[in-house]
Amino acid sequence: MKIVFGILVLTIVMIVVFGSPVAKEKPVRDFYFEAPKKILPMTFAHIDHLPVNCIECHHNYVDDTGGGLCMNCHVSNKQVWPLLENQFHDLCRGCHAEKAALGEEGGPPRECIDCHLGDDSP
Amino acid sequence: MKALLAPFAAVFLVTFLAAPTMGAGWYWDAGNGIGFAAFAGLLYLSLTSNRRIDVRAHQLLGYGVLFVAVGHACWYLLGDAVVVEFMKPGAPAYMWHGIVSLLMLGILITVALVPDRNRVHKDYPTFRYWHRVLSVAIIATATYHIVVSNFYLHAWYQELLFVLLALAAVFARQHWTAYGGLPITKTSVYVAVSVLFATVFTIIRNLPA
Repeated sequence: MKIVFGILVLTIVMIVVFGSPVAKEKPVRDFYFEAPKKILPMTFAHIDHLPVNCIECHHNYVDDTGGGLCMNCHVSNKQVWPLLENQFHDLCRGCHAEKAALGEEGGPPRECIDCHLGDDSP
Repeated sequence: MKALLAPFAAVFLVTFLAAPTMGAGWYWDAGNGIGFAAFAGLLYLSLTSNRRIDVRAHQLLGYGVLFVAVGHACWYLLGDAVVVEFMKPGAPAYMWHGIVSLLMLGILITVALVPDRNRVHKDYPTFRYWHRVLSVAIIATATYHIVVSNFYLHAWYQELLFVLLALAAVFARQHWTAYGGLPITKTSVYVAVSVLFATVFTIIRNLPA
């Protein structure tokens, strides 16, 4: 049993180091949006979100906290940058989960990979 | 069998109290179903522990729970290339709690029997003490992992019930064992029940709207 467990632990370590041998798509960390550190790619299709009020995401339209693309502030502002992962997970996942709970169209995100592929991925 | 079904039913029931049909796709839900089965197994191991325990049955079941927990981790790591990011520095605290819980479970089980036990602990009472402390730490970190990740426990009362469930299994254990202890089921039965509950969990979460 201990040997089997040891092999499983080794397998997990190998997957963490070298990646999954069976996962079809593998995102590549890079300095997207001129981020100070390598981050995962993210995808967002405006066309799929047309029924959503713009200010649900574009808070700067009403609170005058900046302009341009979301990432202009969320990766370049030293105060906001550390919150990137939490803020975007909460915003995207929270909204999808809320809609699903209310029975509205737009299910929650599926696997992590469904959001963490670049916009030019198939 | 009833003693095994009780923690399973309680754990899965709490997840269904709010938004029971809200899922995230069969792959994601199946992986979490396996995780909830591992957690139910942890609670069952705690509930069935007492001084007159069948050590061999307890050990085998412990390995069963460990393999189901490892299955939960491998399921995601193999199928979704992003999940590996959750096992690196910078991962959210709730993921580190899950990883630490799994590592502690592995250590707890693999050094619990002689001769390995004798190499680590000087006597039986010391072993019992640290075995108990580690088991409480495992359930505590696993509870944090589930509650704070917030994938299925959306309402505050679900989170509260889940924590109370863990506390009951850990600290009200004497109440159950005072009556002679609960029987320990076979590992094969535990694995079969895990597969059953994870499958039903996945189906309900992915029912067409």
